[in-house]
Amino acid sequence: MTARFKDRVAAALADPVLKLAIDRTTGNAERKRAAAVADFPQFGAARARGQAIKDHVIAHLDHYLEMFERNATARGTQVHWAADDAEARAIVTNICLAANARRVTRSKSMLGEEIGLPHALADAGIERVETDLAEHIIQLAGEHPSHIIWPAMHRTREQVAELFKTAHQPPPAAEDPATMVQSARRVLREKFLSADVGISGANFLIADTGATCTVTNEGNAELTTTPPRIHIVTAGIEKLVPSTAHAFALLRLLVRSATGGEMTQYTTFHAGPRRTGDADGPEEMHIVLVDNGRTKMLANEFRDMLRCIRCGACMNHCVVYRQIGGHAYGGTYPGPMGSVLTPVLDGLAISRDLPNACTMNGRCAEVCPVGIPLPTLLRAWRRRSWREGLEPAPVRAGIGLWAQFARRPRLYRLATRLGLRVLRLFGRSGWISRLPLARGWTDYRDMPRPAAKSFMDQYRAEQRARK
Amino acid sequence: MTARDRILSAIRATLGPGKPANEIAVEAALLLEPVDTARPALVAPALPDAFAQKAAAIGTTIDRVSGMAGVPQAAARYLKAHGLPPRLAMQPTPELSALDWAGITPSPQIAPDEPAALGLALWGIAESGSLVIHSGPGNPILMSFLPLHHIVVLREATLLPYLEDYAARLSPQQVPRNAILITGPSGTTDIEGSYVRGAHGPGFLHVILVSGAG
Repeated sequence: MTARFKDRVAAALADPVLKLAIDRTTGNAERKRAAAVADFPQFGAARARGQAIKDHVIAHLDHYLEMFERNATARGTQVHWAADDAEARAIVTNICLAANARRVTRSKSMLGEEIGLPHALADAGIERVETDLAEHIIQLAGEHPSHIIWPAMHRTREQVAELFKTAHQPPPAAEDPATMVQSARRVLREKFLSADVGISGANFLIADTGATCTVTNEGNAELTTTPPRIHIVTAGIEKLVPSTAHAFALLRLLVRSATGGEMTQYTTFHAGPRRTGDADGPEEMHIVLVDNGRTKMLANEFRDMLRCIRCGACMNHCVVYRQIGGHAYGGTYPGPMGSVLTPVLDGLAISRDLPNACTMNGRCAEVCPVGIPLPTLLRAWRRRSWREGLEPAPVRAGIGLWAQFARRPRLYRLATRLGLRVLRLFGRSGWISRLPLARGWTDYRDMPRPAAKSFMDQYRAEQRARK
Repeated sequence: MTARDRILSAIRATLGPGKPANEIAVEAALLLEPVDTARPALVAPALPDAFAQKAAAIGTTIDRVSGMAGVPQAAARYLKAHGLPPRLAMQPTPELSALDWAGITPSPQIAPDEPAALGLALWGIAESGSLVIHSGPGNPILMSFLPLHHIVVLREATLLPYLEDYAARLSPQQVPRNAILITGPSGTTDIEGSYVRGAHGPGFLHVILVSGAG
């Protein structure tokens, strides 16, 4: 991956196949979500409730963490705590190594990606088998997820067929999705049943039962967590809910917002290892509670972001994401929610471009099922970037110059009038498609020719005419 | 300091002294009230009809029979209709093994590539067309995930209107090791968003909905 955001964006915009792939998946997601919400007149009330539940948990986070720990321990689950990604990786790999695990199956978890678990397992010499179909595809391609719900959405069926042809023995007989899904089913079935450890994430941690709750559609999660001797869950500390009923209230929002369904095919609760007489199930269950920046967000202006339930609606509805796709963002989480989280996880110095790559059109906040004011949070990062002196010199100088004019209204209006005349020269056809010094804008989009007179001039003329 | 102490003390430094646990519990319970304003209405007044409509909408097929004695015949009908041999992996539970399986060979074991398995749902949820299964001595979880065709017996008497009604039946201190809500056959949209059934779990989900007490 190229280091500069601008270069990654340029590469993404120059890739017509990527644009097609993004349009197919996000367009579908947008239509299906709209239909699901239209079919649920109580959605507004449910959203207000979901937001209130998350706010309540965050306001009593220590209480719920201890309650969850107590109840999970009572069910026989071993609870671990990790302050950062390195601690979380060490805990998981040590459990695997202590068990002499050779093969680990993994059910998709964005937290696992966030803490760098795939690499950590490889470094420990453990075979990692991604079992979610999309994760299987990107594992074969050696890539990172480009979307939190559809990690392989940047790949077309032809590209997937190319990967499966080499990796699956015998190779799939045709390139249609159904045949390729069958092929993955056959190849992965054997891996499920021979794994030593199964690793999954959690959508919710239920405080009063000590259970984890995970939602999936493929059935790979159950096949990942049931046969191996050990089941490990990694989850962020913000995933807590007071009870199963609270999880259901949030599930109604999560699934509709993510895929436009009402319920995922499988909603699975895990509470501890195999019990006496159980017909199957792991002998050990571990859960790793991961902070990794979350307690910092609790203390600063990004606390609202802890409500996020990772549905992906914000990216499906983001005009920027839909042009550049997920990889251009360069972090674990793409799109609007990723642009808020990446500076927390990777530091603002290397990710300051992300909060700036936003049109502030507000669609993400409109569709967020837990009412996160994403544009406000992105603006907060922009303010910080300015305050911390991270904006490059030309930007600072440019804004400084603008401020000189903006503080002098007469001069500002004069400059606006001149500017309008010049701009109109470039837009004789009605659109400005080339502009000196602004190629960064005009290379990718045209600007409408401005009105002949500025707002202030028009307003004054109107006032005069009324007298 | 352990990671646990560091995390909890960072939280407490921000949040300050907490409220008493009983006050938090009251607050949490109130968040769910009134329950009806934030959940969808059932699609039909009678629970079996509402369940059947929702289940059918997500690709589950339904066969409604009267009395548990009709289950083996319904299962045989299904196998025949799909060109499957008269064999079933069957959940080892007395309610099912007590039935007269003449003509079908049920097995308590399940093979990795089992064509068909039959199980019993503890509850059905009318709101979403979901089936509830719990792990335990009488229910291997893999029985519901390895077969290509998953046949589930659901008694109308065990239908619940809403997800909350299921939650209310769980005693927090006695939850099962593994509880699963199954809502339709396994599926994926991971390749170009195009929907394909039978990703890893069953490609076919068939419910035998049983009315009456017998």
